[in-house]
Amino acid sequence: MIYIEHMNNIDRRNFLKTAAIGAASLTLGSATVKAADKPLSDDRIGILVDTTACVGCRHCEWACRTAHGLPAGELESYSDNSVFKEYRRPGNEALTVVNEFENEKNPLLPVFVKSQCMHCEKPACVSACIVGALTKNEDGSVTWNDDKCIGCRYCMVACQFQIPTYEWQKSIDPHIMKCDLCSERRSNGKLPACIEICPNEALLFGKRSDVLKAAKNKIKRKPDTYINHIYGEHEVGGTTWMYIAGKKFDKLKMPPLGTATAPGISEAIQHGIFAYFVPPVTLFALLGTMMWVTKWKKTNGSDEPKGKLPDVNDEKEK
Amino acid sequence: MKPLPVKKNFFSLGVIVLAVLAVNGLAFLSIRFYSGLGAVTNLDNQTPWGLWIGVDVAAGVALAAGGFTSAALAHVFHRESYHAIVRPALLTAMLGYTFVAFAVCIDIGRFYYIWHPLIMWNGNSALFEVGICVMIYMTVLYIEFLPIVTERFIGKVNFPGALAAFNKPVDALLKLLDRGLSKTMFVFIIAGVVLSTLHQSSLGTLMVIAGQKMHPLWQTPVLPLLFLLSAIAVGFPMIIFESLIASKSFRLKPEMKILSNLGSMTVPLLGIYLAFKLGDMFIRETFIYAAKFDYTAWMFLSEIGLLLLAFLMLLSRKTSGSPAMLFTAASLIIAGVLLNRFNNFITAYKPFYDTVTYYPSIGEISVTIGCIALLVLIYRFIVIYFPVISHEKK
Amino acid sequence: MKKIHFILIPIVFFGYVLSKVFQPDSESVKDKFTVESISSTEQNEMKKFHDNSSLRVTQKLNCKSCHSSEYPTKDDPGLLGCPRSEMISVYHSPEEGPETVLINEMSDYYSGVEFPHKVHAEMSEMSGGCTGCHHYNTTGPVLNCRKCHESSRSREDVSLPDLKAAYHRQCMTCHKQWSNDNGCSTQCHTRKGSGSIINTGTSKNKTHPALNLPTKLVWETNSKTNKIVTFFHDEHINKFNLSCTSCHNQESCIKCHAGKNRGDIGKLSRKEKSIEEHHQPCANCHFGNSCQKCHRDKEMLSFDHARSSGWVLKSYHAKVSCTKCHGTKMPYRKVEHKCVTCHKSFSAEFDHKLAGFTFSEGHTGLECKNCHSGGDFTKTPVCTDCHDDKSFPQDLPGTRK
Repeated sequence: MIYIEHMNNIDRRNFLKTAAIGAASLTLGSATVKAADKPLSDDRIGILVDTTACVGCRHCEWACRTAHGLPAGELESYSDNSVFKEYRRPGNEALTVVNEFENEKNPLLPVFVKSQCMHCEKPACVSACIVGALTKNEDGSVTWNDDKCIGCRYCMVACQFQIPTYEWQKSIDPHIMKCDLCSERRSNGKLPACIEICPNEALLFGKRSDVLKAAKNKIKRKPDTYINHIYGEHEVGGTTWMYIAGKKFDKLKMPPLGTATAPGISEAIQHGIFAYFVPPVTLFALLGTMMWVTKWKKTNGSDEPKGKLPDVNDEKEK
Repeated sequence: MKPLPVKKNFFSLGVIVLAVLAVNGLAFLSIRFYSGLGAVTNLDNQTPWGLWIGVDVAAGVALAAGGFTSAALAHVFHRESYHAIVRPALLTAMLGYTFVAFAVCIDIGRFYYIWHPLIMWNGNSALFEVGICVMIYMTVLYIEFLPIVTERFIGKVNFPGALAAFNKPVDALLKLLDRGLSKTMFVFIIAGVVLSTLHQSSLGTLMVIAGQKMHPLWQTPVLPLLFLLSAIAVGFPMIIFESLIASKSFRLKPEMKILSNLGSMTVPLLGIYLAFKLGDMFIRETFIYAAKFDYTAWMFLSEIGLLLLAFLMLLSRKTSGSPAMLFTAASLIIAGVLLNRFNNFITAYKPFYDTVTYYPSIGEISVTIGCIALLVLIYRFIVIYFPVISHEKK
Repeated sequence: MKKIHFILIPIVFFGYVLSKVFQPDSESVKDKFTVESISSTEQNEMKKFHDNSSLRVTQKLNCKSCHSSEYPTKDDPGLLGCPRSEMISVYHSPEEGPETVLINEMSDYYSGVEFPHKVHAEMSEMSGGCTGCHHYNTTGPVLNCRKCHESSRSREDVSLPDLKAAYHRQCMTCHKQWSNDNGCSTQCHTRKGSGSIINTGTSKNKTHPALNLPTKLVWETNSKTNKIVTFFHDEHINKFNLSCTSCHNQESCIKCHAGKNRGDIGKLSRKEKSIEEHHQPCANCHFGNSCQKCHRDKEMLSFDHARSSGWVLKSYHAKVSCTKCHGTKMPYRKVEHKCVTCHKSFSAEFDHKLAGFTFSEGHTGLECKNCHSGGDFTKTPVCTDCHDDKSFPQDLPGTRK
């Protein structure tokens, strides 16, 4: 996708520039309404996927399905390699999938990449959700609330990793499906299912800061094994799930994303338009004045607006 | 010349065709409510929004902009001569927004939770803003329409049989309502304009969050401004379009004086939009994508081309004089804005893991056409029974 | 009151002596660390820290091998780069280690594994030795994996993999390449509840099957002339007495155990190698040789002592090992075609028959130097030195064998 590269190189600067101008002009003296976000804990979760340690056993897929009550089948059936022929994405039946990629350094040991919700630090889905059905929790996880969701699928539009999926075949009670970092298991003191079952601990679970440190150490210790890039450290403002690999991430079908948070520009515009309702009320007052002035000018004015000069303060509830 | 009910038979050949289309749409719609969105639409996990959001909702909102532009023109700026077009435009807006709300209802997965945004707020969400604004604006539109209802019934309340006793009190109630409304109407009119500018622009903010998933030809932080400007630009052409169709259909004399004035007023509005649109393209240097001349580029170019053509047509004096030319120009603008909304929500949406390119299914198209047909039928019904269109009494 | 001094002074004195004699634990600390300048409590603390930490210093070590700073503290240890290559002491023969190791302390979905340690240990010599698996084993005895790798996955220190991962990573790096099969129960585990608990006994007394060694390997190189390189594998082992590890010391198991399916043994995986890598195994011995030594225009014939040196090895010499004459050092020493090169001196007991010549009765009593004048055994004796009427080789002093 060429235009993505373009976005990354030439365009980002311009994009941000225009964004800044746009946002600044709309912000009206930076009076932005900040959402009451829960601050993230310093001990929030981080998970490092070491793609060089993953052996593609797909046990995580089985464990994930089992933990989420999805039809999982026999654990043995997951040793079937033929699923790797096609690139797969997380979906309604599997909240996480593992894909195989060629390893030029050693063809006998292909690279395996697990995909699931990245649990962004600044999640676009949470910002987008019309009813706030998606929550960024203090521990770093992003969870979906069945009781709130109206099924508008704006989260799917917003997500840069194309993670949330929707139960298209359901008319009543369709769910948005995505990794919830096994919130139920964790509330019982257990680890997420995929992390617990992984034989190689290719999924390193811990505090984000510790895990990041471990990732940097690994890269430092084995500069021949890893490329010097932790995917998810800075992408879209950082993610809970992070990846290290022996080859470039765009070759592993990871979208090349910038460091700007996905909801950043959108929220800046949004809060610009609505800065404490100042712009709408100002516009209301302006139009009211205009209406009054034009009516005053016309002595033979129409019979419709009979009111006095509209008092702006009375319309605050708008 | 006063707004009066059009004395015309409701049924005609066209009405039957429209009714068939509407029934067809409703048939597909029943499948959607029985077996889910997947059964009717071509939507999938990579393309969560399709024709219903792109055209029914986004384009629907844009094309209903005639309501607030005409209200601003006639009431806020007190151009009395334009009062003749206010009521048809108001009706279009009211029906348009009803249609939008209906489209939202069928597109969201849990239609029975449509009321959730009223009590569950997310101030960060552009969609929340659009949703709330559309809900309030729809209420305002219905309130603005109320005087037409009271006008129709005051002095004519005539319940059959035993209910006749209620005739007088209902009539009195209507009179009270009418008086109250005429005193406070200016609040609703201004509110309508404010709400429109808000959600027309927020509709543009919607796709900004899609980030790199959206093609750079369309993805820009000034999207909200472009959406607002294009909505304002399409307002008058929409009035021209429907007024000319209505007068043709009801064999009335077209209000050419008003319409040609609206046509010439469209020129600067459309010019401003085009200037911003092209300016944005040149500032972000995205013309390199337009110069590729692939499918996406052609969609972009035709969107611009339609509007540019209409702009050039309207510049000439001949256009505003001839109903046919004016109609063509207005149709081009409507098509251009429609295509723009379609492009923004569908063509531009190019997700990274795109395995199947989205094309609207027969079901989606049927439902969209069916809804539009239904809309036209209701419009015809209301125009025949309520004082909406101004014309000489025959 | 003044008499109190008489009581106090001895008490203080005895107290001092006792404290000197029963200095707590100081001996065991000094046993490991040779730090004289710090107090005993500090010594104790240091010992405790080093015993409990993942460092596991179990042998007498000089502080300077690990610490750069003069006074290392817990917070500022001033550690050097890990000097483990100098400290590692895990060199045992495969027989010393256990035959099998049962790994079953954390089996959940699968049963435990009976790891055939001996088989792996036998072959490990060719791939870097014990440390290939027993990495980071500093000094002292071989440590269990769980000494460093915690069994709990949710743990404070995530710098090391947990125990389950440590086990699996040891095996998987090779076994994943060895077999593309993802199944856990095809090779190591059995699924729990599927009958047998562990594959007991299958790996008892298991040794690596005899290797199918090649006799001769012929390569065709890319060069224009002298394309052919012939390598006699069996000669290097049998004639030149090379051990496997003298060439195969950093091999991966996959070198032999490649192939997509398990058991597809013997298929060699060919990796792109640099010129240096290609020549490295030979160059150790053949460093002085010209290219033509190996690179020929046709296949070489196998080694023939007669052909390459002109010395036909017969009877006793045919049985003598190469090193007897050519020395143990590689490359073999060149030897002249003379008896005395090896047979430095002959004594009176020497049976001349061995040299292939039996003397006639008249000559048996002679001393060696009578004929081999000047002790020079390289020259053939000449009859005319003693006899006027006889001449060599017409008249022989005995019979040739």
